[in-house]
Amino acid sequence: MEKIVYENSLLDDDLMNIEKKNVIRVFNLTKKFGDLIAVENTSFSIKKGDIVGILGPNGAGKTTTIRLLTGVFELESHSKIEILGEDIAKNPSQYKKNFGIIPEVSNAFSDYTVWQNMKFSGGIYGISKELIKKRSKKLLTQFNLINKIHSKTKTLSKGLKQRLNLCLALLHDPPILILDEPTSGLDPISVNLMRNQILKLKEEGKTILITTHNMREAQKICDRILIMNKGKIIADESPTYLREKFKSTSTILFKIKGQVSTDLKKTLLNTFNISEKKGNYVLNSYNAIIDIANLYQLSKEKKIKISGLKLRDTSLEEVFIHLIEDDLKNKEEMSNK
Amino acid sequence: MIKDSLHRIWLLCKKNITAYVRQGPVLMFGLLFPFFMTLSWVIGRNISLNLVFIGIVAMTSFFTATAISPVVLPIETREKSLEKILVSPISLNEILFGIILASTLYSVIITSIITITLVLLFSLTLESLSLVFILLLGIGLMAILGSLLGLLVAGYHTDNFANIMILVNLVKFPLLFMSGIFLPLNELPPHLVYLSFISPITFLTDLLRYCVDGSNYFTLLFDIVMLIVWIVSLFITGYIIHKRTMPKRFSGTQKLKKK
Repeated sequence: MEKIVYENSLLDDDLMNIEKKNVIRVFNLTKKFGDLIAVENTSFSIKKGDIVGILGPNGAGKTTTIRLLTGVFELESHSKIEILGEDIAKNPSQYKKNFGIIPEVSNAFSDYTVWQNMKFSGGIYGISKELIKKRSKKLLTQFNLINKIHSKTKTLSKGLKQRLNLCLALLHDPPILILDEPTSGLDPISVNLMRNQILKLKEEGKTILITTHNMREAQKICDRILIMNKGKIIADESPTYLREKFKSTSTILFKIKGQVSTDLKKTLLNTFNISEKKGNYVLNSYNAIIDIANLYQLSKEKKIKISGLKLRDTSLEEVFIHLIEDDLKNKEEMSNK
Repeated sequence: MIKDSLHRIWLLCKKNITAYVRQGPVLMFGLLFPFFMTLSWVIGRNISLNLVFIGIVAMTSFFTATAISPVVLPIETREKSLEKILVSPISLNEILFGIILASTLYSVIITSIITITLVLLFSLTLESLSLVFILLLGIGLMAILGSLLGLLVAGYHTDNFANIMILVNLVKFPLLFMSGIFLPLNELPPHLVYLSFISPITFLTDLLRYCVDGSNYFTLLFDIVMLIVWIVSLFITGYIIHKRTMPKRFSGTQKLKKK
């Protein structure tokens, strides 16, 4: 039988001791849908008490990774997941008790009341009736939902539904929380409330895995960021490190006065790493001085007036775009070869 | 372990009954359909009360049993609550049993009410207690069978329950007309009797005839064995299909570009 070699396998004793703190270890995660490879040979681990963000464009494989982790999809034969040191294949349904999952869209039963949802969820996780009552009361009070206890879930607003999801996820007191776009579509007050709750849960020792499109949110709350593109992790670093790594890069913002011909647009796009939206131009630059000089030269040659020129440090959002673009370029070059 | 599993199945069953009994398709295909079919069959025709009783009980049992099981999975796929269940410590078997139990209970309760009402209304008498037991056994077996049939059709991984109801009706009506409800098997030509073997309702109708007036075509044991064979086959096929199609309910939402 062919021996499977896991990318994250650690043989060194000291390293093994460090790895003991890992609550999630994922090896060679792969998922195909027919010809489509949604996740390809992805390996990562998450330490206890960390908040790890998975970032990536649509179709990057974030949700598929979560679904593989939570058992919605079956693992391929060469993939392996360990939760709290246990191979999930050994106990496929019981390991799920370690997770509390907060989805992007509320998945509480809409015809059930808040209390019925809590009772159902607690029962499924094998919690006694008394404990369900006690914990529900505590959680619903903590999240300001106690006055809605007998309201049907379908009558709640999106923000309240998301709070209910958080209560449902925490009811069985899981050590790991998985949040899929938890603040998507919420108003700023609810976003702030959710963010504070996530940080509070981290303080309580919960390990949190979060998928998000919101770079600012990731920058604020994550200890580590995994950037995914086309099913692969292309970066696995702390937000600070990522920003430091790309410190040498800058963003140049400017506008062009008057009509811009198609030819000029083509020249701009071919000369610089540039994007345009409603007359606002964004140039991702590795050498701002040279790029500004070239831009000035071009404006003289083409007789165009550049206005509102601004130079900005790279945000995590721009790091993300840099990485995705670099990854795409690399892939294009590879396929051309 | 088994106790925990049974508890989870019961919770799922309660949830399915609470959430789906009042759903439009369940009311329409479970109650209104057999009612109006009976009216159109009986009115203006000289049909014996025994035949009417057998027809109504068989139709109610079959229609109610196939009312809940096909709608649960498509609706829960659409409302995302199926994913909530799948990420909980619940096995596929427990999910399926939760649906089967809800559908079976719904059918048994409604059919029992209709049966008792008709017995009183038509002043029918069952000769012995064992016949009452056989009648209840038949209703129970058909309730399980119908639930499994509905669940099998729901193996098609869509989140649109209207599509599933069309499929279910496409299967249900031919089975109903082949079953000997409307015309007794002994009045059918032999080749049509063979055709009636395709429909499991044939064996319930025959079992009911045994109980009501002893005009059964097959033996009682044969009817019961055939109903059990249908149940086992439907469960195995349904389980295999759902195991394959369950992940597809979520893969369809992936907006992936071909690599």
